[in-house]
Amino acid sequence: CITLFSFLLVFGRAIHAIARISDEFCFDPVEKGLALRAVNSSRSAYAYVFFSSMFFQHYCWTAVSQPCQKEKQLSLPCKLIIKSVLPVFRCVNVLERNVEKCSIYTNINDHHITFQLLCKYGVVKTYNLTFQECDPLQAVFAKHMCPNILKVHSRLLADIMIHFPTSQEEVTLSVTPMKVCFKSYAEEDTDFSKTMLTEIQLNPDEFDYFQVGVDSEVTFCLKELRGLLAFSEATNVPVSIHFDVSGKPIAFSIEDMMLEASFILATLSDIGKETASQQPPCFSHNAEAVASKKPQWNGTAPNTESVKPASPLAKQEIKNIPRVTRGVMDTEGTALMEAEDKAAPEGEARESRYQQVRIPVVVTVSYFYKSCIFQFHSLFFGAMSCKEKDSISLTFHSLATASDTEEDFGHGQSSQV
Amino acid sequence: MRFRAKMVDLACLNHFSRVINTIAKLAKSCTLRLTAGKLFFILSEKVANGGVGLWCELCQGNFFDEFQMEGVAAEHNEIYLELVPENLSRALKTAQSAKAVKIKLTNKHCPCLRVAVELPSLSSSSRIVTHDIPVGVIPRRLWNDFREPSVPDFDVSIYLPALKTMKSVVERMKNLSNSIVIEANMSGEMNLKIETDSVSVTTHFKDLGNPPWASEDGCQSSAQDRDPESMAEARVDIKKLQQLLAGQQVNPTKALCNIVHKRVVHFILLHEDVSLQYFIPALA
Repeated sequence: CITLFSFLLVFGRAIHAIARISDEFCFDPVEKGLALRAVNSSRSAYAYVFFSSMFFQHYCWTAVSQPCQKEKQLSLPCKLIIKSVLPVFRCVNVLERNVEKCSIYTNINDHHITFQLLCKYGVVKTYNLTFQECDPLQAVFAKHMCPNILKVHSRLLADIMIHFPTSQEEVTLSVTPMKVCFKSYAEEDTDFSKTMLTEIQLNPDEFDYFQVGVDSEVTFCLKELRGLLAFSEATNVPVSIHFDVSGKPIAFSIEDMMLEASFILATLSDIGKETASQQPPCFSHNAEAVASKKPQWNGTAPNTESVKPASPLAKQEIKNIPRVTRGVMDTEGTALMEAEDKAAPEGEARESRYQQVRIPVVVTVSYFYKSCIFQFHSLFFGAMSCKEKDSISLTFHSLATASDTEEDFGHGQSSQV
Repeated sequence: MRFRAKMVDLACLNHFSRVINTIAKLAKSCTLRLTAGKLFFILSEKVANGGVGLWCELCQGNFFDEFQMEGVAAEHNEIYLELVPENLSRALKTAQSAKAVKIKLTNKHCPCLRVAVELPSLSSSSRIVTHDIPVGVIPRRLWNDFREPSVPDFDVSIYLPALKTMKSVVERMKNLSNSIVIEANMSGEMNLKIETDSVSVTTHFKDLGNPPWASEDGCQSSAQDRDPESMAEARVDIKKLQQLLAGQQVNPTKALCNIVHKRVVHFILLHEDVSLQYFIPALA
């Protein structure tokens, strides 16, 4: 079991890591534990964090059967805006000193998820966050089919990434059976006379596990990854990297008894080899709603289309699908849906390069099992006694390095209400 | 044109990093002049940009274990490069535990200073981090622009107060005003003054001492003939002064400033193996 401090830190860092992917995420409690999922607007990054029920001091999840109502049906999971959740887990150090218990519970009827921090001196901080319906997303990515697998402690990855400036957007990972190299990626039209390039060469010995089936050079977004690095440092679990050749996604994942996480990032494909067939779309039998999108995807001339904020539109369209299937009550009803071809409002040039190499995303509606709605009850986590805390905190000694400066107080002001 | 150098001593590396960090705080872009025995960081800004001048001199022998350079031509055995010191600072920042740092002038896509840091690793072979810092080669015909500035014919020369104190005073004043008046006399007194519509603040320093300047042909006589109580002053951009003070990470062995009344303030900061001169022109 883990201490309250570790819980806050790990959970908080998970939220921060997901925040780098998207502005909203799916909060998806299931019987075995709590899953958090997010995908970015251009479908080039997908994050999944799963906390097993063992991670929490108390995890309670109940299934409640209710008559099926077509309009008002609430799908768990719930979609939350990350910005509303982040303040809860800011300044873990401050929290640790004051918080005695942290509870999270949902109120389906009210469309609320409540984060409640019970603090010292009887202070209770309650954050009521409204959620929207959200259909659970799941990336389709066969990790075990990847020819290249590296496994390394998060400390090493952090030590590598620290050499790149925080403004560095993309890095290239280049492997051969003899060496590994991370280098900063610059587009062809970069002004090299103004750009500093960094390259780090490592020996395969440095990795806990090193398998290179095919020489490859994959370029992915470093910014999206940094959150996972911080998260894995907090958990002290080694990071596995699964990848293939350029164009195919790369997965960074961590896994242990209590939690697992996967960040799947699209990689740039070589120019000139970009074809729609790189990621063959798979469409489900629930064709009507989906079919209307098919021509959009295949007949793409993406860059010339106007750039409008795509995300709300995309989400609406995703939502449409389950509405079609709701009546069907297909227990196995999974709609495989290829990513929408929408240009993202920001970073459009970069995102459009990733369009062709999007991660196939599965929208599952398997919750609608025989007209039951599973109602998530509550889970909460409290502080342990001081003595236990000391001995256990040794495992997470790296957590104790969180800063304790005045600055933290400054940021924390907003949540001191 | 060739240049390669190697540093293996951690203390030298840290010291060099500190110097680079100081330069990075003072100049966005500056000139690096390499000679057989020395490195110079030079900046001479146009008046439109504030007109500050920077001259920082290091003896390569105090930092590098190996230092080889071949200048543009035999009679001009020097190299002048334009670079962004912040890049160099960043490259050295993560080299705190390095086994060795090598710097080399290369020309791949464009002229670069390649900084290769050899870091210890758990495996048999080291980790190598390479940073390619783009530089511009300054042609010989422009070298005259970068001559060492001469010490001005100052009115007052005075040792500076403790830089930490001075820094915190100036930092608070920076919030109130854009310009600051530095005045001092030959009796060891210095005042830092700001004045706005709503407030005026003056900080007085006493007993600072005035450095003795050997008069050669009596050319420093303007200072010596002066009434010791009379103040010479100059109004300067407070940001420039703050940048200079903020960039000092180690206390210099000697710190003094020369004031030419209403013209320029000339700062001289001396460490064991580095000398830094900074000129801030007076505002109109």
